[in-house]
Amino acid sequence: MTVAPHPTPETDRTWHGSIDLQFARSGDHTQVQAQTRSPLQFQRPFYPEGPEVCHAAMLHVAGGMVGGDRLSISLDLAPETSALVTTVSAAKIYGSRGRSLIDPAGRFAQQSVRVRVGEGAHLEWLPQETIIFDGALYEQRSRIDLAAGASWLGSEIVRLGRTAGGERYGCGEWRSRLEVWQGDRLVWLDPQRIDATDPATRNGSHGLAGCPIVGTLAWIGEELPKELITEVRSTMPAGDRVDCGITRLQTGLLCRYRGHSVSEARRWFWQVWDLVRRSQRDRPAIVSRFWPL
Amino acid sequence: MSEPLSRSLALLQLASPALPVGAFSYSEAIETLVDKGQVRSAADLTDWLRQELRVGSIRLEAAALLKARQAIDQGDRDSIHHWNQWISALRETEELRLQSWQMGRSLVTLAKDLNPADTTLVTLNLEPVNYAIAFSSLAAHWQLNHAEMLTAYLQSWASNLVSAGVRSIPIGQTQGQQTLLNLWPDLTAAITEIQQFATADTDDDWFACGWGLSIASMTHETQYSRLFRS
Repeated sequence: MTVAPHPTPETDRTWHGSIDLQFARSGDHTQVQAQTRSPLQFQRPFYPEGPEVCHAAMLHVAGGMVGGDRLSISLDLAPETSALVTTVSAAKIYGSRGRSLIDPAGRFAQQSVRVRVGEGAHLEWLPQETIIFDGALYEQRSRIDLAAGASWLGSEIVRLGRTAGGERYGCGEWRSRLEVWQGDRLVWLDPQRIDATDPATRNGSHGLAGCPIVGTLAWIGEELPKELITEVRSTMPAGDRVDCGITRLQTGLLCRYRGHSVSEARRWFWQVWDLVRRSQRDRPAIVSRFWPL
Repeated sequence: MSEPLSRSLALLQLASPALPVGAFSYSEAIETLVDKGQVRSAADLTDWLRQELRVGSIRLEAAALLKARQAIDQGDRDSIHHWNQWISALRETEELRLQSWQMGRSLVTLAKDLNPADTTLVTLNLEPVNYAIAFSSLAAHWQLNHAEMLTAYLQSWASNLVSAGVRSIPIGQTQGQQTLLNLWPDLTAAITEIQQFATADTDDDWFACGWGLSIASMTHETQYSRLFRS
């Protein structure tokens, strides 16, 4: 006997996708094994810099996340491996608040990222930007664990509202909690929340100062020489419509961007990445085949 | 002397600008905001401090102060160590970390000089030690309750930044006092809310909006002409 399935309530039509990438070393080659669950997919790895650095790209085949969706990303780098992980397109988080009669308050779309970088291994986490539609509720939680001699470079660019189309992010919430550990030492904690319903947060200089784009780039590994910080400072975009800064983290570097242009933030972060890579890894940055230029 | 009176004296001494920890030399980026024209008046200064109390990272630091105090009350050294590390990780700009560490070191030195035989302060053989951790230790020693300690911490923080505003904008002393008075409702609301969310077992759901402070503090690190150390 077969039982007719219950009709799925609207609020339960959500995706729980995952991707698990394991990087291992074989000779001087960084190899990758992927396990995925839709809507996340993995593209075959590329080696544009030679076999030691594995370039891996993730793909979200459903186009974007809606309230209630969950994504889990797990990256595990064995000792002495090196990987660059990116995404093939911008991430989209669709509006949830006020979109459903059943659940007018909306639901959070959630992403969790778990990263382990083994001894002497290096991870570059350079996803394309995240576009937060008006009314979207988004929460991400990331934990990075670094072993001795390991490094992590991460960047994130967030567009709040589809401002190119005249949309303002005036209703919704974005949260991101990131923690980076070196062994048993917490070296950087970044628990950020933007409540778009608060005009003082949207418009005041303490918050976004009317800017729809925020971005963060961090490199964590060891304490960086002051000269490098000075050099990195010379790359900062300037102008009336942008505010940015650079500082030393306890064992690394942090750049923050608040402005109006995703491409301006992207270009700046690429320059910083290039300087840090040349200084710490003795190799220049390269342009991933997936990135728009 | 009655216990409430001695607690009041302790509260006043701990919150006093005369506490020799060097607070007057720090503006926590107010100097940059003034330089960039983002804070031009007492009203702008009030807006900035109000946002910090409503949604800023001072809330998280104050919650860590409470957690550290609980750890001190319970003699839990691992937890004290954790919250000290936690504050260093939260204060993401180099200047804001150095400020907290310098003030922490000065307060520990003072506390040890005042209480050479005291063993509860032995827990502060941390290096670096953040100001909030040192503050919670001295507050425990002087038997301030948690609400009093939190009030002293936030009032002295606000009062110090108002003073930085008075000197850098500049505004008059009376306007400065009016600014502080205008912040009373925000201070009392923050004290209530912080005590509430700090009861959670973990800090997983503690968030703040830090864009303005972080970028201004980063900018201050290389500001050409400056009077303040942060």
